[in-house]
Amino acid sequence: MQAQDTLKQNNTVLVIGGGVGGIRAAMDLAESNRDVVLIDKSYSIGGLMTQLDRTFPTNNCDLCTLSPDLSEAGRQLHIELLAMTQVAEAEGEAGDFKLKLITAPRYIDLEKCTACGDCFNKFPECVRFTPGLDHRAPTCMRYPQAIPHAFSIDMEKCNDVDALVQVCKAGAIIPEDTQKVREVEAGAIVLAPGAEVFAPDKLDSLGYAANPDVVTSLEYERILSASGPTQGELVRPSDGKQPKKIAWIQCVGSRSIHEGAASYCSSVCCMFALKETIVTKERFQDSIETTIFYMDMRTFGKDYELYLNRAKNDYGIRLVRSRPHSVFHDSETGRLSIIYSPDDGGSNLTEDFDMVVLSTGFKISEDVQELAGKLGIELNEHHFAKTGGFSPVSTSKPGIYACGMFESPKDIPETMVQASAAAFCASKDISILSEPIESIDEFPPERDVSQEPLRIGVFVCDCGLNIGDVINAKDLADYAGTLADVKRSEMVGYGCSRETMKHIQDVIREKELNRVVIGGCSPRTHETKFQDTLRRAGLNKYLVEIANIRDQDTWVHFDRPEDASDKARELIRMAVTSVALSHPLTDNVFPMKKDVLVVGGGVTGMNAALNMADMGVKVYLVERSGELGGVAKNIHKTLEGDDVQAYMKDLIERTTQNDRIEILTNAFIVDHTGMPGMFKTGFQIAPQMFYRQIEHGVTILATGALPNQPKEYLLGEHNNVMTQLDMDAMLEDQPDKIKDLSNVIMIQCVGSRCPENPNCSRICCQSAIKNALRILELNPTVRIFVLYRDMRTYGFQEDYYKKAREKGVIFVRYEADTPPEVQAADEQLQVTFNDPILNRKVSVYADYLCLSTGLIADEESTEDLGRIFRIPKTSDNYFLEDHIKLRPIDLPVAGFFVAGTAHAPKTLRECIAQAQAAAGRAHCLLAKDTLNLGAAIARVDKERCTACLICVRACPFNIPFINADGYSEIDPAQCHGCGICAAECPAKAIQLMQYEDDQILAKLAGLLERVN
Amino acid sequence: MENFEPVIVAFCCHYCAYTAADMAGSKRLCYPPNVKIIKVPCSGKVDAIHIMKALEMGADGVYVAGCLDGDCHFKNGNIGAAKRVAYIKKLLDEIGIGGERVEMVLMSAGMGERFAQTATEITEKIRKLGPNPVKSVNEAKTAA
Repeated sequence: MQAQDTLKQNNTVLVIGGGVGGIRAAMDLAESNRDVVLIDKSYSIGGLMTQLDRTFPTNNCDLCTLSPDLSEAGRQLHIELLAMTQVAEAEGEAGDFKLKLITAPRYIDLEKCTACGDCFNKFPECVRFTPGLDHRAPTCMRYPQAIPHAFSIDMEKCNDVDALVQVCKAGAIIPEDTQKVREVEAGAIVLAPGAEVFAPDKLDSLGYAANPDVVTSLEYERILSASGPTQGELVRPSDGKQPKKIAWIQCVGSRSIHEGAASYCSSVCCMFALKETIVTKERFQDSIETTIFYMDMRTFGKDYELYLNRAKNDYGIRLVRSRPHSVFHDSETGRLSIIYSPDDGGSNLTEDFDMVVLSTGFKISEDVQELAGKLGIELNEHHFAKTGGFSPVSTSKPGIYACGMFESPKDIPETMVQASAAAFCASKDISILSEPIESIDEFPPERDVSQEPLRIGVFVCDCGLNIGDVINAKDLADYAGTLADVKRSEMVGYGCSRETMKHIQDVIREKELNRVVIGGCSPRTHETKFQDTLRRAGLNKYLVEIANIRDQDTWVHFDRPEDASDKARELIRMAVTSVALSHPLTDNVFPMKKDVLVVGGGVTGMNAALNMADMGVKVYLVERSGELGGVAKNIHKTLEGDDVQAYMKDLIERTTQNDRIEILTNAFIVDHTGMPGMFKTGFQIAPQMFYRQIEHGVTILATGALPNQPKEYLLGEHNNVMTQLDMDAMLEDQPDKIKDLSNVIMIQCVGSRCPENPNCSRICCQSAIKNALRILELNPTVRIFVLYRDMRTYGFQEDYYKKAREKGVIFVRYEADTPPEVQAADEQLQVTFNDPILNRKVSVYADYLCLSTGLIADEESTEDLGRIFRIPKTSDNYFLEDHIKLRPIDLPVAGFFVAGTAHAPKTLRECIAQAQAAAGRAHCLLAKDTLNLGAAIARVDKERCTACLICVRACPFNIPFINADGYSEIDPAQCHGCGICAAECPAKAIQLMQYEDDQILAKLAGLLERVN
Repeated sequence: MENFEPVIVAFCCHYCAYTAADMAGSKRLCYPPNVKIIKVPCSGKVDAIHIMKALEMGADGVYVAGCLDGDCHFKNGNIGAAKRVAYIKKLLDEIGIGGERVEMVLMSAGMGERFAQTATEITEKIRKLGPNPVKSVNEAKTAA
């Protein structure tokens, strides 16, 4: 960590890479008032994610999930976006980097291009888009400001430049365009360049180069995608027919010894393949048979095991444990034959499929390796960024941070975590920029609509195939046009894309609309976006109503399209009748309290507290037990060999000595009220149990998880049965005991992946390998058996798994329904298990039995805190974040963030990254000086109020009081907006803004008018 | 009345039930389209008038969906809502419309399955009960 005062030369952060990680980092930095230059070598930002069709585990449309972020990144005033740009030279130190950037010629004037597509239609060969199967740019990817809906021309492919220039009516094609060189100074650099997909053409045996029907998983994704080359029709590339039987082959280019392939695990391909099979099944029900060939099913993420179970049990996805060695094309049948050895060691089998999808892994491109060289940062043996064991996003060079795939293979949520962590580390390196830019400036003044007759506009989004595939969005828009006071109704493609939002604004102005209905996705996720659109069009943001025709109609009634169409009409009608009664409202804005409450004094909580304290705010660190440290205090070494004890000692020392951190041990949270920026939380502090209340602006929950202690395999009954944590301690404290051993057995998944605790504990495979390797270091003659279900050594952990096998650790797989049996045999243990290769039972006597028991949610804490803070939990009692894909740190209650194992089991390193990310997200919120509480606040009509006190008694927060004038008064700064008082008030003197009675009744009228 | 398709209004609180309904969408869990959702900030916001008006206008069933016990974002809005629904059920019994047309249900934000299952069960129950008797009165009125 660098001292702040030495690094104040420059306020800009350079973010390299415009995928989800780079966008998140840039937005976090911008939200906390730092200037960002975001560069991407591609023609538009969005990275790999924009090429996906759906994301696991919700199977949501990728673009719908991402596009609000894309357009926000473009709108952000602190972000300057440079596409087609790469770093040519770099020099300097943290706080003072000087970079030379080269922007390649686009041959298009971004100001003039309207993305009409004329150039592409006439000269498709010289207009560039995304690679692979995609011939069409996804509409949501086209971009605002720096790269608006712009095309890009490949001049080398153009034979007739004049004709090409002529075709553009806007005159946007500039053949004389040249590359531009620019010097940029930056205080810190965030690297999010991502990874590239392994190209399987060299693996002849899989026939990728020879057979068009062998595709990579990313190509399959493009085939499924509504914005892909086939517009979402699932057809075989060879003959355009729908395949009936598709196979996925896992670990192509990963966990491999082939030339050019990687030895590590790419971490995401198992989930990726499961998702593709499930989406295929969902779209085509039983008409397509799907099979996955795999080695270990690695569904180790939060709730991913449940996804695997759903794939198997609900969707009937066939899983075959085998690594096929070849794929042949049968010229007679036109099908593909896969040859594989079954798992039981029997002779080779051949099976025919119509299509084969290769689950290709990820690697770091040569470009990125070159970039690392220019920046002078070290790479690991696999060419990924080398980062610290306890500083997961810090590269070898101060001031340069890495996140996402470039750090190690990972999925989107973990990329988001690291992106926020890297952005936060970078923002610590630079001083805060001058003045926050007033975002209000960009909005035109609000039009006074009070005297205008109703002019309602209805915009029906087709959301790609999400809505358009089930109902006819155009017909729905036509129908909406017939409703009373609707002056304009139309269907729009991808309503949340930048260009459609712009179009809606134009129509509002042109047609002088004064109320707007959007038929589309859930207001929960997109209401603020459309409110923003109204503001830009000069309307008050509360004059919009969203009809949720996607999440609550086409997604749940896809099986009966006609009924879905009827319901969509009803939902639109309800929205129209209700929006007619809406009126302009003003948001309530208040000053922000900047203190931070961190709950949980483990490694995550301490990291979060220290990081926040570094930003100059006061931190209250609350710990239930008598001392700091948590579970990590009992761990000695990481898999990579880092010394956890030394780290913890230093961490505890730094935390206790920090002036800005006030530590409250033995403290129990008992009550909580308020809003982000003005929370009040009460504690009782043992042993006297005296009460204390603190005020704070944000809360970080880092309450951790507990080491599981299931009553299985004689744990707690026999002296030589222990958990991996016990073994870790023994290796450190009593190494002599290891010297006399001859046999050690480890059993994986004890108390995890079972009915009582269905998820994977994520950390146990690596801790078993860690302990096995350490045992062998002390005593190379010990025979170690690891009985496992799937070895889940994701990412670079695979290297250690390989090393363990090389050193002679014997790995034997067992099935969930035939677990090993354990009996005490005096000091020893007799372990009986089925050997799948010999297909018979084997008995081994072990000196020690180590159970990989993993973690279990701290139900007591999450239960209590969940109730006090109103935070939802998963079915297995971890805190449930706001968005499992894009907002893994933010909790659904504004102002709350989660980090560490309270979110889900994870390694120490992952906990530290999350702690940094949570501090970063909290810092974004605290960067504002004011707090907007919105407009949903109860208002009292004093003429009607009879001061009956019913509201005073009904309010859960004791806000209403009878004022000196003798009527009930509700302080807008304190009102939570629940509307309970409004429902209880017998005189109907109280109305909750945005949810007024007449609006609710209008919805009923809109729904039921047909019935009467 | 053989193909009677009831119209059912579900008042769903923003924090739990409405989110659960979206979750059911994300997971593509099908339920009968008869259920139409009206979003409210808290189940405690649902006024007796809203429920009675819905029935008067011809809804065949109404339910209020809030957070699980103890999970209400506004402390106890769901408890208030449950009391109000119980009161309305009694009232409906008294006036001969039948209290079983109105229900209070609880679920957490993550319970997409519970949302879909509840929607299915309530739709089936109302289907068995037949159309809301108010409707025939209304129709008679219109005819007259």
